[in-house]
Amino acid sequence: MKPISRTGFDRWMEHMSRRTAQRTSRRGFLSLCGGWVVATTALPLLPVSRRAQAADPHEKALAARKFASEFANKAQTTDPTRCDYWRYCSSDGYLCACCGGGPNVCPPGTSPSPTSWIGSCINPDDGKTYLIAYRDCCGQDSCGRCACLGEEGDMPSYRPQVNNDIVWCFGASSMVYHCSSAALVGLAE
Amino acid sequence: MKWLLGCCTLLLCCTAAPAPADTGTNVPDAVTRKSGLRLTPMSRPSQLYAANCQGCHGETGVSVAEIPPLAGRIGYFVRVPAGRAYLMQVPNVALNPNSDRAIAEMMNWVLTTFSRAQLPEDFRPYSAEEVGRLRRERIDVKARRGQIVEELVAEHEIPSADWLAY
Repeated sequence: MKPISRTGFDRWMEHMSRRTAQRTSRRGFLSLCGGWVVATTALPLLPVSRRAQAADPHEKALAARKFASEFANKAQTTDPTRCDYWRYCSSDGYLCACCGGGPNVCPPGTSPSPTSWIGSCINPDDGKTYLIAYRDCCGQDSCGRCACLGEEGDMPSYRPQVNNDIVWCFGASSMVYHCSSAALVGLAE
Repeated sequence: MKWLLGCCTLLLCCTAAPAPADTGTNVPDAVTRKSGLRLTPMSRPSQLYAANCQGCHGETGVSVAEIPPLAGRIGYFVRVPAGRAYLMQVPNVALNPNSDRAIAEMMNWVLTTFSRAQLPEDFRPYSAEEVGRLRRERIDVKARRGQIVEELVAEHEIPSADWLAY
């Protein structure tokens, strides 16, 4: 092969250029560039949580926990044996979940009252409003554990149908109050 | 290199795919999360019924002996004008804090859901104006109910007073 020039620098440059041309692939370089272009544009599209930046007011309220209800702002959805469990926003009494039952199950030896008062609570995880039946469990003496007082939507006793001081055992086999449960009735709105 | 491009294309396709059809809300709750329970939003009248009436009258309009059942019965009242007015004059309807329009919607829903068969053939749904007018009057509930049941028997709308015994 006839060298282009005699100077040492030219020869060195020529050697390097030929080496690069022989050892690297143009298509490989192009696909690498293309890969990077696609990857960098696709990365922000990945399904990552961007809840805090969302412009939707509902999403914003959810992220910042700023609901119309003070109770919901501090509520949790995992432990039904604590007063701040989201369904107890209007519950007044001993939690059945602490008395051998569950948030919507009566402890053994008691029976759920066929009548109840129905309130609504906001679930802090999805920000939706659910109707909740505050159903007392009747037929045994007061349980005495986990006394809670939620007062959302509670009205004075001259509006008895939405008052939580009343023993809601009407129609049950016994009027003796044991504990309060909170059953899901439905999704509002 | 090809696999990288392939992955990127796949990712783009996945993120652009339409969301699955909405089949209600999975209630985020320690008790229901595992069960996968999904709830669809209730209609406005059924929500109003649930929040104001259902606690005692029951989800299906039937409850304990102390509480008059609505299912299969309440429609009879609409067969005479005094009975139609009575449904708006019972205390928890008359004094309910909701609007006349909301109560009209709710009562029409209750009548057609729980007691369609008992409605008169020419049943007209309540209007907000009618509800507002009717529920202004305060009545002696027990005495008025007795009169209405007698009238229904006299007009042969029900065979005997026992049909609507409390």
